[in-house]
Amino acid sequence: MVAETPLNSLLRGGSRYLELVHILAERALTARYRGSILGVYWSVLSPVMMSAIYTGIFGRAFLSYYDNSYLRYALAVFTGIVVFNFFSGATSQALTAVVHNGGLLNKVKLPMSVFPVAIVVANCFQLVVGTLPLLAVLTLWQTGNPLLPLALLLPLLAVVAVCLGMGLLVSGLYVFFRDLPYFYEIMVAVLSIATPLFYPPEIIPERFGVVLSLNPLGVIIQVVRDIVLRGIVAWDQIAVALTAGGLTLLLGVVVFQTWRSHYMDML
Amino acid sequence: MTEAIRLDRVSLWRRTQEEFSYDLKRTVLNIFEGKYRQPIRKQILHEVSLTVIQGERLGLIGANGAGKSTLLKVICGILAPTSGTVRVRGAIAPLIELGVGFDPENSVLNNIIYYGVFLGFRRREMQRRAGEILEFAELRDYALVPLKGLSSGMKARLGFAIATQVEPEILILDEVMAVGDENFRRKSQKRLEQFWQHRHTTILTVSHNLDSIRDTCQRAIWLDRGKIRFIGDSREAIAQYLAETG
Repeated sequence: MVAETPLNSLLRGGSRYLELVHILAERALTARYRGSILGVYWSVLSPVMMSAIYTGIFGRAFLSYYDNSYLRYALAVFTGIVVFNFFSGATSQALTAVVHNGGLLNKVKLPMSVFPVAIVVANCFQLVVGTLPLLAVLTLWQTGNPLLPLALLLPLLAVVAVCLGMGLLVSGLYVFFRDLPYFYEIMVAVLSIATPLFYPPEIIPERFGVVLSLNPLGVIIQVVRDIVLRGIVAWDQIAVALTAGGLTLLLGVVVFQTWRSHYMDML
Repeated sequence: MTEAIRLDRVSLWRRTQEEFSYDLKRTVLNIFEGKYRQPIRKQILHEVSLTVIQGERLGLIGANGAGKSTLLKVICGILAPTSGTVRVRGAIAPLIELGVGFDPENSVLNNIIYYGVFLGFRRREMQRRAGEILEFAELRDYALVPLKGLSSGMKARLGFAIATQVEPEILILDEVMAVGDENFRRKSQKRLEQFWQHRHTTILTVSHNLDSIRDTCQRAIWLDRGKIRFIGDSREAIAQYLAETG
């Protein structure tokens, strides 16, 4: 038997983790699309329709905030909804991931966090294949700068970190509290109003704005809008977004790992 | 004589599920009303010590709820002992009762690969071995069929074929030997023999079928309410167990 160095076993553990995430994400995607990858583009349809409805109803009221352009309002709404749908979809699906695989976890030793992580990765794949190219094209069309679509990867990184952290947090909590989906649904609904998706952030009263600025999705969406609509890469905002993402991820990892030893008694 | 598994004074406390509310609303309300209690824990294993030599076939017997499956979970590393140490040398493959870990909508081939990766094998290696597994399970014509299309006997054959094809150093059989028809049972019996004789695979069996434990295992452990009552020759263990229960 060859003695294993700590580095060696760490690398092996890491590659096993990635492989597990790979197959679990693949499994989730094949279950969703049944062989037709075009199904991904259905996920583009919903934000397009929602943006059209919002533009019809609120477009005129908020027109002055968007250079008197319905198109710019519609694009702002679209970017907001895309980011928010990614967050709500990925975290709501991650919520049940550990519990749904309880049977498997009782039979084989697996790192438990792979299940929520794989769900977020599957959703990320869907975003990168489905909506991200569209956002890139929109950026190119609005700004004419071929480098700017690349900048979209930074807010993407931030929102993925937020989703990973939140996904780990809620999937761990769900092991203990089986009525959590009900509360989480309410929380997502509240957040969908508290995040400036279909209204300009400028209309929020200042006192209220302090509370709302704690929502990392707000700054991430603002960064995306700056890139797509105005061709601006706001580095300070990107730094805030990435920090917020990193902190959410840290919180999720710490909570998940702290409670991990209790999970198996509840599955 | 290499040690395959060694447990040293392993005790395990678990939370009893009935005591826990499983409910955020009730937990919050209980805290407000001052009725919140720490969840109750129960000792499932009491200072279990045992050593298994590589290539040994060991049986686990005992009444329902004695902790047999829990002990296997501790050995597999699924549950961490509350106190004591567990040392295991080599890859463990549990033979799972079928259904768990399989995705009914996915193809048989994909399920083989996923399942193999869960057991700790590389994806590429499983792609290479999938053919042999299908061959052994006599399911070659079913590779692309969704798993839900298989009969329960076919699924059982598939599970056995995967767990044994991955050539583990330690194989865990938890009440699953009665799989498939007479023909397949003979075939799987033969494969286990081969494993044990030629590859020195360590085999742990849990069964209520005392005759099969007597026939296949040299040693057996009688577990009673989380304590080892007897460890040694399987005939002796079964005789003592029967004397107490019968």
